[in-house]
Amino acid sequence: MTLERKVSRVVLGSMLAGSLAGLAPLPAIAETVVPEAEEPGVMTMEPPKANWFYVRGGWGSAGSSIFDASTGKMVGMVNTSRDSDLAIDPSGKFYYVAETIWSKVNRGTRQDLISVYDSKTLKLVSEIPTPGRLIVGGFTTNFVLTDDGKTAYDYNFDPASSVNIIDMVKRKFVRAVELPGCAGMILNPGVGFSSLCADGTIATVAIKGATQDITRTEPFFDAAADPIFSNTLYDRKKKQVVMVSYTGLVRTASVGAKVEVSAPFSLQEAGGMKAADVKPLDIAWYPGGMQPIALHRPSGTLWVLMHKGEYWSHKEGAEEIWGINLATRKLIKRIPVEGEPGNIQITQDDAALIMVNGYKGKALIIDSKTGEVKHEIENAGGGLITVVEPM
Amino acid sequence: MKRFNPDAMGEKLLRRFAGGTSRRGILARMGAALVAAPVFPLLPVSRAEAAKPDRSPEAKTAFARSAQTTDQTKCNYWRYCAIDGALCTCCGGGIHTCPAGAEPSPVSWVGSCINPDDGKAYMIAYRDCCGKPACGQCNCDNTDRETQLYLPQLNNNVIWCFGTSSMEYHCSTAMMIGAA
Repeated sequence: MTLERKVSRVVLGSMLAGSLAGLAPLPAIAETVVPEAEEPGVMTMEPPKANWFYVRGGWGSAGSSIFDASTGKMVGMVNTSRDSDLAIDPSGKFYYVAETIWSKVNRGTRQDLISVYDSKTLKLVSEIPTPGRLIVGGFTTNFVLTDDGKTAYDYNFDPASSVNIIDMVKRKFVRAVELPGCAGMILNPGVGFSSLCADGTIATVAIKGATQDITRTEPFFDAAADPIFSNTLYDRKKKQVVMVSYTGLVRTASVGAKVEVSAPFSLQEAGGMKAADVKPLDIAWYPGGMQPIALHRPSGTLWVLMHKGEYWSHKEGAEEIWGINLATRKLIKRIPVEGEPGNIQITQDDAALIMVNGYKGKALIIDSKTGEVKHEIENAGGGLITVVEPM
Repeated sequence: MKRFNPDAMGEKLLRRFAGGTSRRGILARMGAALVAAPVFPLLPVSRAEAAKPDRSPEAKTAFARSAQTTDQTKCNYWRYCAIDGALCTCCGGGIHTCPAGAEPSPVSWVGSCINPDDGKAYMIAYRDCCGKPACGQCNCDNTDRETQLYLPQLNNNVIWCFGTSSMEYHCSTAMMIGAA
């Protein structure tokens, strides 16, 4: 068929379709049929909401799906590339993604950057080049924003440890702070940031213009024998970090120029059981997973993924979720859970809905007050879960 | 901080290696890295072992009690006590060789695993093979004495493809370093 004949057929077809549509309305069906050709469109989003879960696709996969906790429905997706880190702007205007890409996808020139997305359109607004970052994913503490959203700290490992400071107002990398032997950041408002270290201390980096002072607490944990999970939890209102070790020792620390670490208590003892040990053949309930703890900040309740087993099983999925009242140091709720989830998160509103997921990608939304499973979501994603934090 | 700190010594060594090695110039310095790599993980491993010298069956971890020495394509092969990822032995590679087209990482994380045949502990370097898409075969995640990011030599989540021409992770090998 010649091009000319093709064009004439298309024109004729369009005219015929147009005249038929104009002649008689089509029979009414369930939805209203618009007698016009539709235009493609794009949705916009609401700003980040307290009852949204941002769920990573899992190891090696990209994208953070956003689920509404009350309906269990997906409402959008943030472009989080593989092994990137997501942070939500406290003012709700932007999503920030610290990521690493290569000029030829899997080879070529490496580029480290923070991509800035508008939270309503989810469109790329800006890119902030950075000198590097740790490519790992799965951790909440490698890319954090200050309470005012003006500064970001991005952990780097190449393989020496440092922290990149980024001015999020000017959208510019400022400088790097070397931090040997420590990893991840705990926010420390008005001071800088703090970090867990291999010598069993918390280091505090007090930023003073172009310089900094680094001080350390006394050693309070053994990084090789009973490590503290790198995914610590920070309460911005209380200026307090909550930490859990492999055996299930819970510690809190108040941040400031001098970081004060509380005496530990045992998760198992909080439930009237014997504290778990590091010895083999000592079967006990242990915390486990990649993101094994979540904090409901308004009520001061710590939620922990727990499994029965032996020591060095700290990545095993959960059989139960334990709720711990941090003020009374008591176990207040045990929720049996299916699917051996390795990640847990909780909405910071009064609904206090828990989400758990496992590496197979199925997520459950659970009412923390009743233990009832409200929604089961297939293929939600098997990775880290993020929520909006109360300021 | 002035007090004596053996971990900091290890870290200084690591920093000296890494600090003088820009990412772009790293290939030119791989000779030095290859010499340094087996050295810097010694301290934390020695420390972990110092805390666990008892190698009786009762002192063995669940992994060590069920480990075997005959099949390198199974997650319970003894050297894999702290491996995380796809076994290169299932991807066209070997226990210490990368599959064709992949590039071994010059640095690694380490494990200290007990060989059930002689009951002794050996230091194993888990070297990632890099520059190809994830192999996807025989995925294992064993965690004996595996720690967190602040002790990276003993953490198995980090992708160790530093200094290779591509940081894309393909699979992991388990090289014998020596007696622990």
